[in-house]
Amino acid sequence: MRGALHPLTWWVWAGSLAVAIVSARSILLAIIVVTLVALTVHRNGRGTAWSHSFRWALIMGMWVVLIRTAIGVLVGVPIPGRTLFSIPVFPLPTWMAGVRVGGGVTLERLTSTTHESIIIAGVIALIGAATSLSNPHRLLRSLPIMIYEFGVAVVIATTVVPQLVMSITRIRQAQQMRGQSVRGIRQWKKIALPLLEDALSRSLDLAAAMDSRGYGFSRKRSRYRVEKIQSGEYGIACASIFAIFIPIPFVIFSALLPLLVVKSRNQAVFA
Amino acid sequence: MIEFSNVSLIYPNSINTVLEDLSFTVAEGEFVLVIGATGLGKSSLLRLINGLVPHHTGGILAGEVSVDGTSTRSVKPGALAHLVGIVGQNPLNGFVTDTVEEELAFGLEALNFPPDVMRKRVEEVLDLMSLAALRSRSITSLSGGEQQRVAIGSALVMHPKVLVLDEPTSALDPIAAEEVLSILQRLVHDLSLTVIVAEHRLERVIHFADRIIYIQANGETKIGTPQEILKDSEIAPPIVHLARALDLPEVALSVREMRRATQPFREKLLKIDVVTGSKFEGTGKELVKIKKLSLSYENSEVLHDISLNIHEGEIVAIMGRNGAGKSSLLRSMVGIVTTYEGQIEIDGRAPNNLKAADRSRLIGFIPQEPSDLLYGQSVGQECTQADKDNRVLPGTTLELLQKLVPGISPSTHPRDLSEGQRLALALSVVLSAKPNLLVLDEPTRGLDYSAKASLINQLRGHTVVLATHDVELVAEFATRVIFIAEGEIVADGSTIDVLLSSPAFAPQIAKVMSPSPWLTVNDVIKVVGTSL
Repeated sequence: MRGALHPLTWWVWAGSLAVAIVSARSILLAIIVVTLVALTVHRNGRGTAWSHSFRWALIMGMWVVLIRTAIGVLVGVPIPGRTLFSIPVFPLPTWMAGVRVGGGVTLERLTSTTHESIIIAGVIALIGAATSLSNPHRLLRSLPIMIYEFGVAVVIATTVVPQLVMSITRIRQAQQMRGQSVRGIRQWKKIALPLLEDALSRSLDLAAAMDSRGYGFSRKRSRYRVEKIQSGEYGIACASIFAIFIPIPFVIFSALLPLLVVKSRNQAVFA
Repeated sequence: MIEFSNVSLIYPNSINTVLEDLSFTVAEGEFVLVIGATGLGKSSLLRLINGLVPHHTGGILAGEVSVDGTSTRSVKPGALAHLVGIVGQNPLNGFVTDTVEEELAFGLEALNFPPDVMRKRVEEVLDLMSLAALRSRSITSLSGGEQQRVAIGSALVMHPKVLVLDEPTSALDPIAAEEVLSILQRLVHDLSLTVIVAEHRLERVIHFADRIIYIQANGETKIGTPQEILKDSEIAPPIVHLARALDLPEVALSVREMRRATQPFREKLLKIDVVTGSKFEGTGKELVKIKKLSLSYENSEVLHDISLNIHEGEIVAIMGRNGAGKSSLLRSMVGIVTTYEGQIEIDGRAPNNLKAADRSRLIGFIPQEPSDLLYGQSVGQECTQADKDNRVLPGTTLELLQKLVPGISPSTHPRDLSEGQRLALALSVVLSAKPNLLVLDEPTRGLDYSAKASLINQLRGHTVVLATHDVELVAEFATRVIFIAEGEIVADGSTIDVLLSSPAFAPQIAKVMSPSPWLTVNDVIKVVGTSL
């Protein structure tokens, strides 16, 4: 099979796996699936425009595990069980009865919050993997023509976001060099004003460029290279959907499938 | 192909006309260069051609602009998309999609071309602009020259008859600029494309131009062949200044022509043994010490094992291709990038853990976009803020600014200043802290010759490190050149030694006068004045 799958296949694949690991509620399964997916991303998702998404998703997942575990341990209704250690209870007003901040931390509580957060991190990792493997813009482009215009608008809007982030960093650094402190709410003006001007001139430039390239001039719009679904891809999609209902055997099988059938991107480049 | 008849243009809320009673025609297959100081309406003239002015910007247009028989008055810019391709000053701002191939197809999709035609044209342009290897790359990951080629390519897929470019080489290193310009030249000759280019760095484009439209400071416009215009224009490349200084009867436009014209003169000079080039060795104390500096981003090394010392009073130019690591080196030096390995000391202190106020007294940094530094609502407000930040007497910054560029009203909004004035404002904000070291990242991008000359005057007397692609600026101003490739120092020496040893980075005068070691018109005049 060709090196690249249809973006929809990647999303069905990753989406179903995500549903499956949530419904299976098993940490082991989640970890195995994420490992296999990581292998797939490593093999097929390199050098694409969004290839860093998976890494960011993993980092974000780790933060989710940390923060959620911390909050889960500190706040909430006490769960009975073996107490590991105890934190002083923070006094709350009476109308918040039932909620407790601090107190004894039981083993059961610790495991249940960690368990949940690892599964959430797994789901985030899977979405990141789908983004890495198929440019979300390509997914939008395979939408039906009726909502295609909307898709184009979204593509344009999301292309601007990373540029805005870059502008913010650039302006902040420049201000720091000028000897300005840029932390704190009262300093927002120093960044907001140059940023606003930057964004405004950028969007005027963009509008002019689109205008002069004929955007919106013709009523109909054709499409460059319509993505076609290949027959083998239905197999991957079906196996992943099965995984939702019969998790244990199918989840691992369908997570493995792209590794087995899809040609590696690196091989495809050097062959 | 293009016809302007009695065109005048005035923007709303403005008293001055941008262009007045301009008439000219451009024939098919002509390469026309638009020159003039900044802010005189070069960009407006270019954007009139496809109707972006006034359809997109507003403004009142008198007279008639027509392209291939179609008046821009009657149709919107989109209706001319198949006829006029336009590439803006900053191509990155005009990109709509994220990958090269999609960007090329965007215009064709918008005009509802059938998929098979589209596919063929995209492939064609990928080959024409040598972009085939980059087709699925994300546009933001490309170098400046590659981005410029994508921008030109996405105009060319429409098979336009006219291509309009606004400062296509201002962000490019000399080699990438040459590449882009020779592609344009080929298009003109092979496809008889009409090309209109606005550019400040005449030394790069002048030998390609068939005709020049010169917008003068008094608002009058002259049109003619390069020889006619450059004979007495204020704006001229170094090669023309040399011809004037030597009283040559004809203005030569290329190094080849100029060498022919100056042959007898050069032969005479060879017999005289001249000592030139003030070889400046830093005499003051060592201000910057860098030892074994390495820096990597995401597993790739951008700077590798750089060691250098800069003395007080030196003016150091850092040169190299786009993406060679110039900006990374500057940003490590000023302490924006802190993740480096190795040692950096500015006046004995590491820049990466300085307090903001201490830093501004040690290092002044002007980023690529000087306006990033500014946020005040007026020049006066900006200056008072700088006085307060740097704890100097009220009025110091404004006084400094008036000395650098006289005649800026303190009530002007920084956005309304010209590029050169804005740079001067940023410079005086930074200089009011009296930093020991001044660091500038590509300061001459978008500056015309007079703004450049005034920048040089402003910077004299300081210790300066600047990254730049501008060979002529370096020849004029720097005492030392450091050449970087792939994150390593490949050459480090006096300006004369480094510039003369590289054909691509040699300034025009050096090419003309070779083997005599002169870099600028002034060098030549000095010798001519004493020995002839």
